[in-house]
Formats: sequence, C-alpha cells, structure tokens
Amino acid sequence: MLMQERETTYKKHWLLALGCWLLALGVQAQPVYDIIKKSPGYASCNYDVYPDSMPDFLSAPPPGKFPFYISHYGRHGSRYINKRSGYEIPYKMMAQANGVRELTSTGKRVFSQMNVILEDSEDRWGDLTDIGKMQHRQIVRRMFSRFPEVFADSVCVSGRSTIVPRCILSMEVALMELAQLNPKLKITMDASKSTQWYMNYQDPVLKQSKLRPAAQKAYDAYIASRTGNSRLMEMLFQNPDIVKELVDEAFFNYYLMKMGLFQLNTRFSDDNYLTDLFTTDDLYRMWQIDNALWYLQYGFCPLNGGDYPYSQRHLLRQIIADADSCLRQDHPGAQLRFGHDTVLLPLVCLMGIDGYDLQTTDLDDIELKGWWSSSVFPMASNVQFIFYRSDPSDKDVLFKVLLNEQETTLPIRTDCAPYYHWKDFRRYCLNKLDRYEKKLSNEKTKKAKKG
Amino acid sequence: MQYDYTIMKLTKKRVLAAVLLCGAVNATAQTVADELKADLRKVAGLNYALPMTELAQETPPPAGKRPFYVNHYGCSTAYYLERPEYYDVPYKTLFQADSLGKLTPLGRKVLEKVRLLRSDALNKTGELTEYGKWQARQQARQMIKLLPDVFTDRCYVDGRSIVQNNCLLTLGEVSLEMSSSHSPMRLNVDGSHRSQMWMNPVDNVLEAKRTDSVAMARYADFIGRWPPDDIKLMGRLFSDDDYAKRIDASALSRQLFDLACSTQYAGVKDGVSLFDVFTPEELHRHWLRRNAWAYIRYGGCTLNGGHQPYEQRRPLWNLIHQGDSMLHLDYPVVHLRYTKESMVMSLVCLLELDDFGVQTSQLDSLESLGWADYRISPLGGSMVMIHYRSGKNDPDPLVRVLLNGREARMPIKTDCAPYYHWEDVKRYYLRKLYAYARERNDV
Repeated sequence: MLMQERETTYKKHWLLALGCWLLALGVQAQPVYDIIKKSPGYASCNYDVYPDSMPDFLSAPPPGKFPFYISHYGRHGSRYINKRSGYEIPYKMMAQANGVRELTSTGKRVFSQMNVILEDSEDRWGDLTDIGKMQHRQIVRRMFSRFPEVFADSVCVSGRSTIVPRCILSMEVALMELAQLNPKLKITMDASKSTQWYMNYQDPVLKQSKLRPAAQKAYDAYIASRTGNSRLMEMLFQNPDIVKELVDEAFFNYYLMKMGLFQLNTRFSDDNYLTDLFTTDDLYRMWQIDNALWYLQYGFCPLNGGDYPYSQRHLLRQIIADADSCLRQDHPGAQLRFGHDTVLLPLVCLMGIDGYDLQTTDLDDIELKGWWSSSVFPMASNVQFIFYRSDPSDKDVLFKVLLNEQETTLPIRTDCAPYYHWKDFRRYCLNKLDRYEKKLSNEKTKKAKKG
Repeated sequence: MQYDYTIMKLTKKRVLAAVLLCGAVNATAQTVADELKADLRKVAGLNYALPMTELAQETPPPAGKRPFYVNHYGCSTAYYLERPEYYDVPYKTLFQADSLGKLTPLGRKVLEKVRLLRSDALNKTGELTEYGKWQARQQARQMIKLLPDVFTDRCYVDGRSIVQNNCLLTLGEVSLEMSSSHSPMRLNVDGSHRSQMWMNPVDNVLEAKRTDSVAMARYADFIGRWPPDDIKLMGRLFSDDDYAKRIDASALSRQLFDLACSTQYAGVKDGVSLFDVFTPEELHRHWLRRNAWAYIRYGGCTLNGGHQPYEQRRPLWNLIHQGDSMLHLDYPVVHLRYTKESMVMSLVCLLELDDFGVQTSQLDSLESLGWADYRISPLGGSMVMIHYRSGKNDPDPLVRVLLNGREARMPIKTDCAPYYHWEDVKRYYLRKLYAYARERNDV
C-alpha cells in the first residue's frame, strides 16, 4: 500500500480516538476513566499513539508580534517494543500453561495472537514503525503551516537526534518533509555522541534514588487494590487456581494488557483482540498504576527525593543558550531535537508546564490534580517553543510553549497568556537551575568534609 | 565551517614521495601505481574517501531504452575511525615519550597532529565527518542529474540502511538532498535488523574458513618478505634508540598509518597530513598488506576456498528478484541500500565486475591484476545497477552497472556494452548461485 493511502486509512481508524485524546491534552475536563473508555490506548501511558490531526485553533499573538524562531524537543514516533523481554513475561506464562493443556479456547486464541505478535516483532525491537514516520511528517507539516514565517525563504533548520536509530529516522523523516515543503531551507542534521550529554542525559545520581523506601511503601499501598484480574484468569485458563503456580496474575494481567495496547503502534489492522479482553475498569486501573510509577520516578515527588526533573537541567540550559544565540539573528529558523520519553517527561515537569511540576505525597492527588503522564509523552510527543517579536530590534521577545501542539500555561506571571515574556521565563529557569546546582554543590562539600 | 574539497595539495616532499612510490612498484602494475602516484590518499584502501567529482562520460542507452529501476548498494560516506582507541593509543604512546623527552622534532610534530586529530574525533568515533555529509549530498545530486528519467514526480525511492550510525546518517543526508532537489518526492527511509539478511548477511561457515591456517600462513609469508621498515620509522620519531626498542614498532606504525589515512576527511581546520611521516615505500607496503588482507577476507582468494564473496549471495538473489519484480511497474523505482564497505566489496567480487572476481592464491599478484581495494568499495562508493526498457512489456530489458560512478564491465557477453541484456545477466548469476548452492548442499 502506498504511503498516502496508508495515511488515509489511519485517519479513518483514529478519528474517534482523536477526539478524546485531544480533550485529555487540552483542558482535561474529562475524567481519565472516560478518556480510556473512548480511547483505550491512553491507558498505556508512554505507549500511547500520537493523534494524526490537531485542531487549528491557536491564540493570536499580541498585535505587531510575529513568530520568528522555533525550538523543539520531540520524542521518536511509534515504535516496536524495545526488547523481546517486554513480551516474554506473558508469553512464557501462556506457553507453560499451554504445555499442561490449561488454556481455554479463548486462551488458545490469545496464545496464537501472541505468537503472531512475536513473529511480527522479531528483529524489529525498538524500530520506528510506519505510523511513527507518519506522525513526524504530520507534526512538521502542521508546524510549517502554523508558523510559515519561521520557515520562510532559505532560513537554517538544524536537526539533532540522540544516537538511537528510531530517533535518527524520526529526525530524517521530519527534515525530509520540511525539505519538500520548502526546498530552499538550509537543513543540517546530526546524531552524535558529542551531544548526548544534553540530548539524552540520564543522571546517574538521581537515577540511583529512583524509588526510595518511602516511595516504595506508598506505591505498594496505592497499587494493592488495583493489581490482578481474576476475570481474565477465568477467561483464559481452565483451572485458574491451579495455574497460578505457573502464572503470576498481577504480572500477567499487566503485561498482556501492555502487549495488546502496544500493537496500536505497529499495525494498521482493526484486530484488537487482545485489548478487547480487558474492560475499561481493567485498563483504568493499569493506567493508575503506571501513572503513579511515572510520577514517583520522573516527577517532583517528595517521597522519592523530589528532584528527578532536574536530570534535564543540561537540556534546559542548552535550549536557553541556543535561544539566546538565535535571538540575535535576523532569521534564526528552527532547531529540532529528537529524543526520548524519559527526557521529555522530566523536562516538562522541570519547566512546570501545565502544572506538571506538581509536588505531593498523596498518590491519589496526582490523578485528581491532572498529572496525567499519558497527556505528556505518547509516541512522537513534543514540546515546541514558538518565539515572537515585532522585528529583530525588538527587546521584548515573547514566546509560548506548545505541549503536543497545544498551548500551555507556565508557572510565571504574564500579561498576555498563553504568551510569556522570554526574559521572565529565562530568569525563572536559570534561577531555579542555579538553586539546584548550588544545593548539589553544598551536598558535595558536606560529603567531602565527612569523608 | 566552509570546506574546500579539492584534492589535497601535495607538498613538494609528497610529490617527490609519490614519484618514488611510482618507481618502486612493478612495471606491470603501472595502472595502480599511476593511481597511487596521482592521489596518495588511495593508499587508505577501504578508508579512501571517494572525491565525488563529476561523473565520467555517459554512454547513451540503445535507441528507445529508458531507465526505470535503480538498485543501489552503497558504503557509508567518510566517517571518523570507529573506536576511540585508534586515536588514544598512538597519542598516549607519543605523549608519554614526549614527557620523558624522547621524541625527535619530527616526533613532536607528529604528536601535535595526533592531538589535533584526536581532539577533532572526541565523542564522534564512527560518526560521519562533515566531508562525509558533503559526499552524501553530492552523491544524491549526481544521481538525480544522471537519471532525470527516473527521478520524476511519480518515482518511488525506498532508502534502507543497516543499523549503524554512519550508514543511517548517510542515508539521511542522501534522502534530504533528494527531498530538497525534487518535489514531490515519494521517499521512505528505514533502518532495521529485519533487513540485515539482504543488506549485510553473515555466513558462519564462510567466516570460519576466512582466516584459516593456510590463508594466515601465506599472509604471514607475504608480509614477512619485506625488511622491518617500522624500525626506521621509530628512528625518525624517537630520539633514544633504547627507549624506541620498548615500543611496539609495528603497532605504532599501523596506528599512525590509520590516522594518516583518516586525515583526508577529518574536520581539522586547514587539513593535517601524516603521510609525510612515512616514506613512499612504507606507505606502499602498508597498502599492499591491507589490500591483501581485504582480498583474503572478502575477495575470491583461493587460499581459503575462493568462496568468501558468496557470503553476499542473498543480496545477489535480491538483486535478481527485484530486477524481475520491477519489470512491469508503471512508475520508476529507486532502491537505496547503505551498508558496510566489506559487504559492497564482497558483492562486487561476487558480481565479478571489472574482473574483481579474480581468483588467485598469489597475494603478490594482486597489484598487477588490478585488484585494489580503493577501486572497489571506498567510503562513499557504490554499486548501482540501472535497468532500462522501452516500455512496460519490453521483452528485452537491459542493465548497466556503475561502480563508484563509472561504468563497469560484467563477465557476460553483450552486443551493446556497457549495457547488458537482463536475461543474460540473470541467467549467468542464477547459474553461479545454483552451482554454489549445489556445492553447499543448499538445494
């Protein structure tokens, strides 16, 4: 099937899901349960699929201000699951149960479906899918049509990617699309180890403290009533009680659900047999479990040290430094960066976009207060900084942040929301980073003295 | 940064060296010697970066025939040496000697050059250089210029790369240039282990035989027949003979040769050459060694059975299969594949293009036979099979092969060289593949 035909097919398939997803992205007026009911993929958090179209509405800039520069960090598009081990947990359990003839007819069909999925994924672990490529082409097309002034004539567009192949290919697809839209653009690209220190920085110190005892305790208590699925066990196994010797109910339920939802990233098929095994209740509980874990590990959760978003301090400083440099140019063009969910989520938290800098010790709070990771980092998710000014001599540069192409709020004052004064945001971020780095430095000094 | 990619200016000393090199080689190997004389960078062999100058004169196709399908297998364009050790080890050897005052003035100059090259490659090992990016863009421009009948609005380009940074980026640069050069351009890119079986397959049986004892013994004999000139190099670099004796001369010489070869595409401003560290004879011997080693591993060397190129028999099957599949399509198709230089070398040998399929056990005859690694799969090199027809139902489609941008000969009779009748081409290679399959009991 040709690419254009495929894209048309996608549009039909995803039209329904789009509506609810957009609601989740925007005002978050709907409860998560309702979103999942209409769009099951939302339950898979970082495995959710990016919508294939967006509403055109964006707030008009203050009079006399025009977009002139875009700074972007985007996650790679939809991909195959990273490693076979992601599927092996439920598969091995099913294989063992099949070996002792414990599968029901539904169980046998599920097992057969799992075999097809494994075969389809073999040697494609982590690969960008055709859906993933389409996502980036569409995002770039929208960026180009929304902000044509930024991409006028022969301005420079630089693409940078982490050294992971799916990110490199996402970058290439996006830049090729831009080249088609305006062949005069001066486009460069790179994917180098020399930029990993900010493009894909995984802080070894903060990572070590990913789940502290207090966080683990709160998490265990939170998920206690949400794991397991006896209904599923009865559907798939002839003797669910006995088969528990082979199949861990909680693990099996979680991983089988993930396996089913993941296929939305790889297939054009309407066959949702695996996901149809699960009720909205099941999916919703899995989302709660996952969302809580993402918050504990990647958000400003005080139970777990409350500092993880600072892992992206180098990236934020680089974004600011790049902007400082580009603001001095007459036609700076755009800087597009391609990376990962584990960078994008903490970056969004660090900047306090849409209240994602939430700090709470009550895990029930995170859902109530709108900390919904699925709205931040689906496949191909992105943050775009759109800069505005009246002319190159304009000292009062404004900007707005688009999270997944929707306007956001920032934790600073402004007189022209959703537009903010760049110098205010710059100061806010640099002060915040300086305070953290000072704290780090003090801790090091204390340790050295003790040592 | 602006780059001047004209051929590196040879210093007077290097010109003299090149002349001496020419005189040193056997008179029957004039062609290779002439080439090395004209462009010293070619001693880099597989690390020689193809200059991507204008294409040679095109032979027009027979009347009524037009290109409709392009099947391409290409190497990555120029990239930094693959591992940090290539830079770190010689740097540390020279740095340590310098800290003890054991370097000659030339040794100190060499240390400075190695420091610059190492610094340039820091955290970029194995990645495309700026020159490599330029090569890729140039390759795309040349392809479009060469094949205007193919790159039309209806053309479909499918670009694939092995899962390796420099190949993925080569594909990216080529695709980007194509996207900028023609609109609309239907172009898909991909890089997956899934396509490894016809992009760079591995045959464990052949690889086990590759460096068997006979081949290694003959190779050792081949490289052992020259005087140990690495010792002389040590004398030029180190001021203390006793200290120099503690250095692994052969290893340091190889390391500096690798770095010297990489200078042709390094990002060091104004260029840095290390070729002048070596005498012309030393450079020639380094090339002879490397060339023989490449022939044993990827060519038709009979010392290890003469079958190493068959490791790429699946890509050849794929070439034949795709050639047939595209015959009746009503739009032009381009398949771009970016893979390892060694894969392209084996494929070229398997196809016996320009007599590179030659089989011999005589490693010292390679130069006179014209089997030179830099001619086969340099950085930025490619094997491009172009298919021609007069219409969708043409019973006699033709093919022409470009090897590194130049028309290549196939081991097949034809009445319209450099064009070959597809049916003859197919029959020749299928027979060859069947014969090998029978030998391996694969049928």
